[in-house]
Amino acid sequence: MAITSFGFLLMVCAGGALYYILPKSWQWAELLVLSLVFYCLSAEPYTFIYILISTAAAYICTCYADSRRAETDRGRKVAVGLGAGAVLLNVLLWFVLKGAGLWMPLFPKMASMPFVAALGMGYYTLQMISYILDCYWKSIRPQKNPLKLLLFACFFPQMITGPISRYSQLGSLYERHVFSYENLTFGAQRILWGFLKKLVLAERVGILVDAVWSLQAQEPVFLWIAFLLYPIQMYSDFSGCMDIVIGTAEVFGVRLPENFNNPFFSRTIQEFWQRWHITLGTWAKDYVLYPLLKSRGMVRLGNRARKKLGKRYGKFAATSLGMLVLWMVLGIWHGGVNHIVGVSLWYWALLMLGELCAPGLKKLTAFLRVNEDSFSWHLFQSARTYLIYAVGIVFFRADSVGRGMAFLKDLIVGTFTGNLHLEKLFDRSLLQLGLGAADWGILLICVLLLVLAAVLRERDGYARRWVAKQILPFRWFVWLGILLAVVIWGKYGDEYNAVHFIYQIF
Amino acid sequence: MTREEVYERLTGVFRDVFDDDSIEISDETTADDIEDWDSFEHINLVVAVEDEFSFKIPMGKVVTMKNVGEMVDIILDLGR
Repeated sequence: MAITSFGFLLMVCAGGALYYILPKSWQWAELLVLSLVFYCLSAEPYTFIYILISTAAAYICTCYADSRRAETDRGRKVAVGLGAGAVLLNVLLWFVLKGAGLWMPLFPKMASMPFVAALGMGYYTLQMISYILDCYWKSIRPQKNPLKLLLFACFFPQMITGPISRYSQLGSLYERHVFSYENLTFGAQRILWGFLKKLVLAERVGILVDAVWSLQAQEPVFLWIAFLLYPIQMYSDFSGCMDIVIGTAEVFGVRLPENFNNPFFSRTIQEFWQRWHITLGTWAKDYVLYPLLKSRGMVRLGNRARKKLGKRYGKFAATSLGMLVLWMVLGIWHGGVNHIVGVSLWYWALLMLGELCAPGLKKLTAFLRVNEDSFSWHLFQSARTYLIYAVGIVFFRADSVGRGMAFLKDLIVGTFTGNLHLEKLFDRSLLQLGLGAADWGILLICVLLLVLAAVLRERDGYARRWVAKQILPFRWFVWLGILLAVVIWGKYGDEYNAVHFIYQIF
Repeated sequence: MTREEVYERLTGVFRDVFDDDSIEISDETTADDIEDWDSFEHINLVVAVEDEFSFKIPMGKVVTMKNVGEMVDIILDLGR
């Protein structure tokens, strides 16, 4: 069941109505039932067994570690063994079923075997690992009701593309909720905004980007269009999905963590990764980078590097190594060799270069008397960050590293050999890329709306809170306008099935 | 170890990690108050604190501590 389908909306409406009618102590149980129904309608039902295994492993080890049996020396060792086993089991299940792209080329005969991963496996696996580690690090108390823990693993809105929630963030999942008009309206508005991003904008940009990528010989100016618009497709697709997910949870009174915070306003690539896919980034930082840099081996290595390279470069060497491991883990999670080589190494190198050059650049901007608070400087920095991001995700879009390199080569060579032909932007050539003139207009309007919402969010927090402060006719104009835009301009329905989200594959 | 003693040693650690001899810290000091205190430097700071006080800060505390005051509480707790 796609979360952009009518069936999903019907399920949310019916489920939401029942949720506030039922006794409040039953609400979490209803969410679990809804999650099971959603799972059976969206994936092979038998694959739910993987979620059950993952939950059972987490439940057993964390409850043991919290019991009196774990207070003795032997008990502590058993608890650590059980915890490590549960984490390894989660990783192994994910690697075999979801990371098949990494090992399958080594065992081509196994390609015919029916490996079917569970829905949302990349997301719930990370959630369960964080739950186990948080319990062992005593940041949280283990959940003693296995069904409530199962709900944490399979809460239906986040089964498609996350967010990767922490157990400590989802306390509202088990709370008793009274009906709230604000939750309902804000949730519905957020879902609607997500529909606009996904069905109206992302799908249109997708047609354009696909058209450019599918042609062999290509005009450099078209390559630039695909290159510059793909980040917008990624953002509107993924963050649009997040809006639907977070809005749906909000209808049920559950607050999910945010995954995006105006990433294209970032001044540096480091800041960008703090604003893009936030829950994955913080997960990798807390459960990969920090434990690694804090480990005895890395501390020893860092001390040795400091002695040989001096304080600054020694520290830089240790951090770089830690960041390399983190980016490799992110590459593996995205499941492809081209992602590891193209995307991960690119961003890691740029991040480290930025870190290395930061003091020099600071001196340079001071020498040139650049006003770092000025709008134009911020705009320049954001544009630079956007371009760095756009280069990396060429390899996300390409099916191989070679294809990604060829795309970038054609783009650069075409530009600097005088073949750019900018006149093609104005002589109706753009209409060859699958979108008519009206579609181009709609695309432009949506991008402007996105920018406006982003500015409002940067200034006032949520844009919808700004809308909520306006007079009634204006509010109706905004939300009815968006609803009509989705209904009239959205790409949906039975004949149109290309509504899978890019990040759904993880 | 008294709170004052912890503060004296901790100030030295902060000044060394952030290469800034003018840093003064208090219970309310957070990452927002020190320019270079980002996620990289946070873990470097934790490792330097562990080195200075010769004990390991549990991972759960590393990611949840919100200000210097909490860091001092953890140090006093572990040093007991």
